[in-house]
Amino acid sequence: MQDKNKLTGTPVSRIDGIAKVTGKAAYSTDYPVKNLAYAVLFKSTIAAGTIRSIDTAAAEKAPGVLAIITHQNAPKLNVDGGIRGGALLQSPEIEFHGQHIGLVVAETFEQARHAAHLISVTYDRKEPKADFEKLMKNASVPKDKDKADAKRGDVKAALREAEIKVEEVYETPIEHHHPLEPHATIAEWTGDRVTLYNSSQIVNGAQTAAAKTLNIKPEQVRIVTPYIGGGFGSKGGQWANLVLTAVAARQVNRPVKLALTRQQMVNSVGLRQRNHQKVSLAATKDGKLTALAHETTTHGAIKNEFIEPCGDCSKIMYDTPNSLITYRIVPMNVILPTYTRGPGKSTGSFALESAMDELAHKLKMDPIELRLKNEPERDPSNGKPWSSRTTVQCLQVGAKAFGWDRRKPEPGQNQQGNYLIGYGVSCGTYPAHQRPTSAIVKLKRTGNDVMATVELAAADLGTGTYTILAQTAADALGLPLNQVKVVIGDSDLPPAAGAVGSVGASSYANAVNDACQKITDELLARSGKQFFARPTASQLMLSEKLTDFQTRIDAKPLESAEEYSAHSFNANFAEVAVNRFTGMVRVNRFLAVTGAGTILNPKTARSQIIGGNIWGIGMALTEESVVDPRWGNFVTRSFADYHVPANLDIGAMEAIFIREDDQKANRMGIKGIGEVGIVGVAAAVANAIFNATGKRIRELPITPDKLL
Amino acid sequence: MRPFTYTRAKDPAAATQALAGNPTARFLAGGTNLIDLMKEDVERPTALVDITNLSLAEIKPITAGASKGGLSIGGLGKNTEAANHPLVRQHYPLLSQAILAGASGQIRNMATNGGNLLQRTRCPYFYEVSMPCNKRAPGSGCGALEGINRLHAIFGWSEKCVAVYPSDMAIALAALDAVVRVRTASGQERSIPFADFHRLPGNTPEQDTNLAHGELITAIDLPQNRFADRSYYLKVRDRASYAFALLSVAAALEVSETGNRIVQARIAMGGVAHKPWRALTAEKMLIGQEATPANFKRAADAEMAAAQPLEHNKFKVELGNRSIVLALQMALNGGKA
Ligand SMILES: Cc1cc2nc3c(=O)[nH]c(=O)nc-3n(C[C@H](O)[C@H](O)[C@H](O)COP(=O)(O)OP(=O)(O)OC[C@H]3O[C@@H](n4cnc5c(N)ncnc54)[C@H](O)[C@@H]3O)c2cc1C
Repeated sequence: MQDKNKLTGTPVSRIDGIAKVTGKAAYSTDYPVKNLAYAVLFKSTIAAGTIRSIDTAAAEKAPGVLAIITHQNAPKLNVDGGIRGGALLQSPEIEFHGQHIGLVVAETFEQARHAAHLISVTYDRKEPKADFEKLMKNASVPKDKDKADAKRGDVKAALREAEIKVEEVYETPIEHHHPLEPHATIAEWTGDRVTLYNSSQIVNGAQTAAAKTLNIKPEQVRIVTPYIGGGFGSKGGQWANLVLTAVAARQVNRPVKLALTRQQMVNSVGLRQRNHQKVSLAATKDGKLTALAHETTTHGAIKNEFIEPCGDCSKIMYDTPNSLITYRIVPMNVILPTYTRGPGKSTGSFALESAMDELAHKLKMDPIELRLKNEPERDPSNGKPWSSRTTVQCLQVGAKAFGWDRRKPEPGQNQQGNYLIGYGVSCGTYPAHQRPTSAIVKLKRTGNDVMATVELAAADLGTGTYTILAQTAADALGLPLNQVKVVIGDSDLPPAAGAVGSVGASSYANAVNDACQKITDELLARSGKQFFARPTASQLMLSEKLTDFQTRIDAKPLESAEEYSAHSFNANFAEVAVNRFTGMVRVNRFLAVTGAGTILNPKTARSQIIGGNIWGIGMALTEESVVDPRWGNFVTRSFADYHVPANLDIGAMEAIFIREDDQKANRMGIKGIGEVGIVGVAAAVANAIFNATGKRIRELPITPDKLL
Repeated sequence: MRPFTYTRAKDPAAATQALAGNPTARFLAGGTNLIDLMKEDVERPTALVDITNLSLAEIKPITAGASKGGLSIGGLGKNTEAANHPLVRQHYPLLSQAILAGASGQIRNMATNGGNLLQRTRCPYFYEVSMPCNKRAPGSGCGALEGINRLHAIFGWSEKCVAVYPSDMAIALAALDAVVRVRTASGQERSIPFADFHRLPGNTPEQDTNLAHGELITAIDLPQNRFADRSYYLKVRDRASYAFALLSVAAALEVSETGNRIVQARIAMGGVAHKPWRALTAEKMLIGQEATPANFKRAADAEMAAAQPLEHNKFKVELGNRSIVLALQMALNGGKA
């Protein structure tokens, strides 16, 4: 797809960049809505039981208070309307620590916060189910059919007869998404229609869930979300705060703003669940896999299940005649887990790719060679051909660029001063899909200038959606970038896929491109002329002297895409330095080589990949949400306790993309880069730590205490 | 956060007087700790007296008195200025390193030297008002004693409280035998040796220090010493910057001009107790000994033998041992590995 005259494929800077760094880009709470009132949530201080009483007398008398909403006076909402995680103030039942139990609305934020402190609540407390270590023993088969046991061949027999095997358990902790912008909403009713300024990765999904939950029609809800300050899955499904803001606004009959605090984020908008993963590998002496089993035990919330698919990478990464993927789940008094960047793949690949490294070590084989030996020709899970697969190239290109030959195969052999140096490698993958998306293209000519506007209910998480869509439309219409305007993030626009699961770029860009091709076809037909070379839409607007023209498309994925297994693939390389006294680890260098089809913009794509890598480094070394099993509360409630990587934690980051033209996946050959950047990262770091120290840490995060 | 009044003190006398009459009034310095705690509803002052306008920020040589030849650091000076002042860098590099190991550039630009000493524990049970905590709500119990206590004390704790004191700056000040200068509510001056400034929890963990209500920290005095060439602040933490210490060691050595014999040793530890922990046992063992890794190790073993770890922080014993050795080694080498 790359072409010298095209804007796609070139490192265009974000077209919304200046608006963002100058503060002009309006996020959810930035809208200058008049006559705003402010809401503050108050939350349960137990994890299981029922509310006995709520005393709001003092709070009601506090200055500025307009309303206090609890389960005792909240309107009836549809709890099955698609809002995740419950906490809709519909009953006195408490299912997790920090569940919303009420809302204070006041003239100012400070007044609402103060009044919230004056409320006293009594409970009938039950012993919470909060100790995963203990609960795990009662885990059972999930209801979700997608998570049923998937068996191929006879893993047990293969393990019994194995020449070499690895059977280990890998633990990953609860993590939080913690986007820089905490969840926030402004709700404004006009008659019986509500406008919700609310960060939403799935614009239409938020609209439907809000409408259903409020028992109104989707047309009565408008979601406005032009800019999103990160979401990582937590703004995919919507949570109670969205709907409760609408309820509060109706109650006080004026617009209401509700913004979560950082501390409230830990129990309001989902989390990445704790996973206990057993991986078993059997192999021949020369490194051919004969069995791969990946058995995950995890927890849901008390009433609802959610399972991130930790076994997904194990299903397709390696060629093995015998395979087993299972899930077991147990209810726990925590907020409902949800999609979190690289769901299942990031955590699952930590287990699988650590185990592969352990196997390579046992075989005394280079871990890259082991992977090359087990490269599958087709998708082993369903026998479909790959639309394209770049694992081998990623490994080979990466090994060369990283200087893999400088790695000492024996662990603990590379000491420099107080530091032990190690190299690690891992692979990763994430599926590529296109989802139905509609788009409108509008052309307007003024004199000799043609201006295009593309409109669709897409979302830009901060990743560069505006920019890649402007590039796509500019190319397809024959216009310079500054004559294309992209309008997204509004449910009044044509419905679009969500910015989730790495489907955004392929769904949006294909739809925009299709719409631009369609408008060109329509202009051609209208002209009634024959052209030697196909003219662009902008040329046709000029030659036909049109002032306004527009069209709409409802783009669908290729039907033939179903015949292929389409995924992005990567290889990750890490160099770590471990302080031999203190156990502190620094990732000196990190390289991700990615095959993700067409890269529309290498600059924003690089940011996406290294952003994923950095979170992966956080996953490997620092991030952990800790529950006190006695009370079921998180003891890591702020950024002082929940350690995301800081500047000094991150060394040299490099991203290389493998050139691909995969038109089997979709017309533009876009596979998505949002998730794959985090997949495999934690394993590459853990494997590098093993290479540095000889210590195999199977429990994330790898904090200094684990390396003493 | 609850309603409070806000006033600005025009001089130290006005500041101390404003607090003297009101037990729930507090000084407001940089606010980087106090305001956070108010937002969490942990601190509930009814009045804030802003002291940032007081002219108590100067860093100047001490020309008279017990600390003559030393350096005086204003109580309302900013952490950033203290860390970067040429006299501090030259004569007390340990202090400069310790300050720079804490928080972030932005926070150090706001944080004051007096406020730093009075920052409160980062124990999560202290921070969350729905949890028991004897420091926040005396008599409610200690959530950490049998809870998630990976970050907690291994020395000097009591059944009432196992929290650790979080300041990095103060660990260096403890090693340097600093003196805290205070203006009392009645306008008198008093000096508190650093070792007596912070307290162990005992039965009154709600009291972090021996400062009385309304007493104003005017300055921190650093006595003269010969450690400038051989000192080091080692901070072990869960990430490379912007994290509180899992454990830290401020080490300073004075060795004989002929040979390698230790004349004076100072070791203070952070992240292990309710106050900066002076490793007096280790210090004593080192005096008169050769400065060798083996002797460092012997001293570290002796010091750490007295540790009483909790369920989740057993690693701190081994980590403390290694960190004492590494910090002394780094100090001996003038800060180089
Ligand atoms: C995110 C974050 C990370 C941090 N990381 C670290 C770290 O790694 N290491 C570290 O050491 N610190 C760290 N800190 C803490 C920081 O150093 C302290 O918050 C700061 O030093 C407090 O100084 P202040 O002037 O802002 O105090 P304030 O918050 O204004 O005051 C703190 C207390 O001291 C009292 N007070 C202030 N000045 C005086 C005075 N002159 N006389 C008497 N009483 C006074 C106040 O009344 C109040 O009770 C961190 C802080 C934050 C927010």
